Amino acid sequence: MSNLLASLSVAVGALGAEQGALDATTNNVANVNTPGYSRQQPILAESEPVVIGNITYGTGVTLEKLQSLRDPILQLRIGEETQQQGQLNALVSGMQQVQVQFTSSSGDIGAEISNFFTSLAQLSTDPGNLSLRQGVLTAGQNMATSFNNVANNLTAQQSNLNLEVVQDVQQINVLTGQIAGLNQQISQMEGVNQDASALVDQRDVLIGQLSGLIDVSTIQSDNGVTLTTSNGVPLVVGGQSFALSTQTDASGMEEISSEGSDITSQINSGDLAGVIEVRDDKIPTILTSLDTLAANLETNLNAANATGFTLVQQSDGTLEQGGNLFVTPPASGRGAASTMALAISDASLIAASSDPTGSDSNGNLAVLSAVHDQAIANGQTPTDYYSNIVFGVGNDVSNGSAQLSASQLILNQLQDQRGAISGVSLDEEAANMVSYQRAFDAAAQMVTTINDLLYTVISMGTLTG
Amino acid sequence: MSSIRVNPYPLPDLLLALENLQKQQSTATLELATSSKINQPSDDPAGAARMVQVDDKSSEIDSYQTSIGSINGQLSMADSALSSVVTVLQRAISLGVEGANGTLSDSDRSAIASELRGIQSQLVSLANTSYQGQYLFAGTAATQPFVADSQAPSGVQYQGNGGANSVTIGEGYRVQLNQPGSQIFNGTGNDVFQAIQDLITSMNSNSGISAAVTEVSNAYNYVTSQRALYGNAMNQVTSQQTLLSTEKVNLGQEENTVSGADTATVASQLASEQTATNATLEAMAKLPQTSLFDYLR
Repeated sequence: MSNLLASLSVAVGALGAEQGALDATTNNVANVNTPGYSRQQPILAESEPVVIGNITYGTGVTLEKLQSLRDPILQLRIGEETQQQGQLNALVSGMQQVQVQFTSSSGDIGAEISNFFTSLAQLSTDPGNLSLRQGVLTAGQNMATSFNNVANNLTAQQSNLNLEVVQDVQQINVLTGQIAGLNQQISQMEGVNQDASALVDQRDVLIGQLSGLIDVSTIQSDNGVTLTTSNGVPLVVGGQSFALSTQTDASGMEEISSEGSDITSQINSGDLAGVIEVRDDKIPTILTSLDTLAANLETNLNAANATGFTLVQQSDGTLEQGGNLFVTPPASGRGAASTMALAISDASLIAASSDPTGSDSNGNLAVLSAVHDQAIANGQTPTDYYSNIVFGVGNDVSNGSAQLSASQLILNQLQDQRGAISGVSLDEEAANMVSYQRAFDAAAQMVTTINDLLYTVISMGTLTG
Repeated sequence: MSSIRVNPYPLPDLLLALENLQKQQSTATLELATSSKINQPSDDPAGAARMVQVDDKSSEIDSYQTSIGSINGQLSMADSALSSVVTVLQRAISLGVEGANGTLSDSDRSAIASELRGIQSQLVSLANTSYQGQYLFAGTAATQPFVADSQAPSGVQYQGNGGANSVTIGEGYRVQLNQPGSQIFNGTGNDVFQAIQDLITSMNSNSGISAAVTEVSNAYNYVTSQRALYGNAMNQVTSQQTLLSTEKVNLGQEENTVSGADTATVASQLASEQTATNATLEAMAKLPQTSLFDYLR
């Protein structure tokens, strides 16, 4: 038979293994609220048996390792969905700000266009009336101001988004630096067969944060993870991080570059992608539409005013031909909305008359009013064209919000799945604790018993000696 | 362990559900408060775009109504001025008929002639009627249309022009606001002032009085026919006013269909969302607060 000392070592080994298992439970319980923590499971295995004669004796239990439970594929899906969500979040919150400019109110562009044409209609009932003429100028000024305000607010929002781009890039650089550092530590520890799961958890958390900002492709490699954008721009390779940088382009926009090449348009998801989409695509498109509307309104109203006659009498007694009512918009139309303004401050210069001898004629007001129903831009009347802009903005927000809700649900489900695999359950830990404790108690009892047996054996010697 | 492990942390799910419910509730509350289901374009992009057009249409109708209000005064002022002209001309005709009676003495006729001169200046002043500073019979000119002029054969000179103004009172619907004074008072062969002048002359010379009376009576008929324009315009304006009110009501209904909140439905939605919120909160409160640890001694 085996000897008592061997049994003692089995019992002592069991004490160690159970205590190690209990350590894992303690660590799990301690990290029950730690974000990104993956629960540890002690892996217990039988020790190598020994054969003496023709009997095989077990040699007890070994604690092989403490394994962290995580699903790397699930982690990748969470990363992807986080990127999607980051982008949608930025897009929706950006467009919600834009939307405020187009929310129906008494001073919005649509209302001011209506008011301007109403003022012309009013003047037509008494075309010589100076206070009604002044009313047209005031309404024209208000219409111009509403265009100016919206265009300026959109431009201001663009500059804010520009700052956000810079902040995002700074944050990305901090994160990639930290991830590269962790990569290095993890590969060093794993190189000497140490368990780096705590660091891996931390790295997963940081990659999650990075995914909220930019599109990240994760590739597991021998020296840790390699992170690139979906277009292959390197972010982290092993222990090295590749910082992104920003520089201001000719139009004042911050462009993002990596290793000297411009990658601004290649960022496909994450907050940065959403911010860039609103800054470089959504807002410029709306500004262009507003410019088109403003420029065509000015041009058409100026042309209409020029066909009529003002109240100013020339030396031959006839009335002067009308001139520009609004300033001439830039030839390209660019900036027409922000620069829209009246060209005249003298109300007698409104060319209401269609008759050079009739200062009380309202004939040309009909020509001016007709602009309201003219297809002045894109085959649409001013109001229809504006209503299309409103539709576009509303649609962007409502589509984006719907996608965002869907993405949130998916992300939550993925987090649920992650929790099912990696989350700490206190009930489970309690049950484990009880079983490890019982096993520890039993092993300790074994030590006592073997100790008694050894004493008995030693006493036998004393009796005979 | 073969059974599928469940996520030990249901809290984030519940928080998301709660957040969504709160969003829905604030939307519903806003809808109830504004009784509009479109409070920002994203609430219904197509509806918001439609509302831009409906609002524009509505302000267009308002402006037609305002225009009608201001031209109504002008039209009835002109109409009543012409009605006085007609009355005055009637008086001139009866004076003429009286003067044609051969039994009258020279002094009788000169008395009639002097009353006719009074009528003449009364007609000039009626033809110069203005409404809020605007001459009603000057065409589209801003000058006083008729001035006494001894050089002119009729004794009166027209200084207005031949233009006329129209005002839009409906979609593509324009109503003519005036007839130039030259057309009303200086019709070819029907010149009011010429007829009166001729009657005065004939009265003084006691020759061709009957012919002059016929002339005045032709002018009388002519002015009466010109007056019809104003009567017609006032009728048009009145019936258009009714039409616009109906259109405004219809537009209001459309506005309500597009953007009006169905308050009963929204209120019941709000109530069920509140119930759901309470249920979720209760579920959160009932999340296990104990674990197996609590039962171990």
